[in-house]
Amino acid sequence: MIEVKNITKKFGNKKILKGLSFTAKKGEITCLIGINGAGKTTALNAIMNLTPLTSGEILIDGKKLTKESYQTIAFIPDTIAMLSQMTIRQAMHFMKDFYTTWNQERANELLNFFQLTETQKIATLSKGNTAKINLMLGLALDVDYLLMDEPFSGIDIFSREQITSVFTSHLIEDRGVLITTHEISDIEHLIDKVILIDDGIVVKDFNAEDMREQEEKSILDVMREVYVK
Amino acid sequence: MNIQFNKRDPIYLQVVQYFKQEMAIAHLKPGQEIPSRRDLANQLKINPNTAQKAYKEMENSGLIYTEGNLPSRITEDNHVLKNIRKELIDEATDHFIAAIKPIHVPLDELVDLVTEKYTQASKDKEDLHD
Repeated sequence: MIEVKNITKKFGNKKILKGLSFTAKKGEITCLIGINGAGKTTALNAIMNLTPLTSGEILIDGKKLTKESYQTIAFIPDTIAMLSQMTIRQAMHFMKDFYTTWNQERANELLNFFQLTETQKIATLSKGNTAKINLMLGLALDVDYLLMDEPFSGIDIFSREQITSVFTSHLIEDRGVLITTHEISDIEHLIDKVILIDDGIVVKDFNAEDMREQEEKSILDVMREVYVK
Repeated sequence: MNIQFNKRDPIYLQVVQYFKQEMAIAHLKPGQEIPSRRDLANQLKINPNTAQKAYKEMENSGLIYTEGNLPSRITEDNHVLKNIRKELIDEATDHFIAAIKPIHVPLDELVDLVTEKYTQASKDKEDLHD
């Protein structure tokens, strides 16, 4: 389980996170939802220790973040981190050199699934295909937790469908996924847990199926209650 | 397998409802093997935890059964199967009556209308198959 406990973050005088707390469990898809600037990406960066916190703590499986934590957790940013002149094959070699958890078999399977070939240069890929490669590079790591920052933004509907079907396959199963989005409709059926963030704090936190069952509300209904005032 | 999910009802109940319908019209036959929870999740594009919940619900209500480690199967209990059909028909009829009642339509007119439209709908369906 990823436990985010009362974290705060200031950039200069501007408070971005104002005491954010939530958890994300293994075997579940947890979705951080919030409008632009709510603090979603900063929260993910904080979990990956990419940005120092002003206060609060983050635990992964009960332990504080260390260098070794990165063997159990992977971050898929919203833009690809590979050099554009690399081919897909070179990008995979790069990952293999840096991560002991790299699983080439799974990488090949994903390439196949997305119908991409490893001789293609990253610079020549369409936006949708770049997103798929970005996702592939993260998913091919044998880690327990995956953080994904806006995997659907700016991608055509068929690519989005292809990406969502990865979520229901063995490529994700049993792992913990923490995903940020402001586009809920594509993944509404997939999410276990929803965390609504506004202005650096959690405003609501619920299980999607329980919400439908007990209050007969869709995720969007709840979002409307929370965000539209 | 294809379900158009609505966003307000629990997904797992929508899956159960779909299975009931398929069983009532014998698209899913007694004793027939059903997909694993992972396959079902993948086919319907839903969360595997939700697929699991749907199967648990169906298992509890006797719609499906599992022996040891074998794949789950549709029940062979005729009593259960008959009940499903009755339940679905009752549910749909109650729904219809609840919607039409406030309009105070005389029963004769209603029966005629239902007969006419139902025949037409069945005919349209046949044409579609040709």
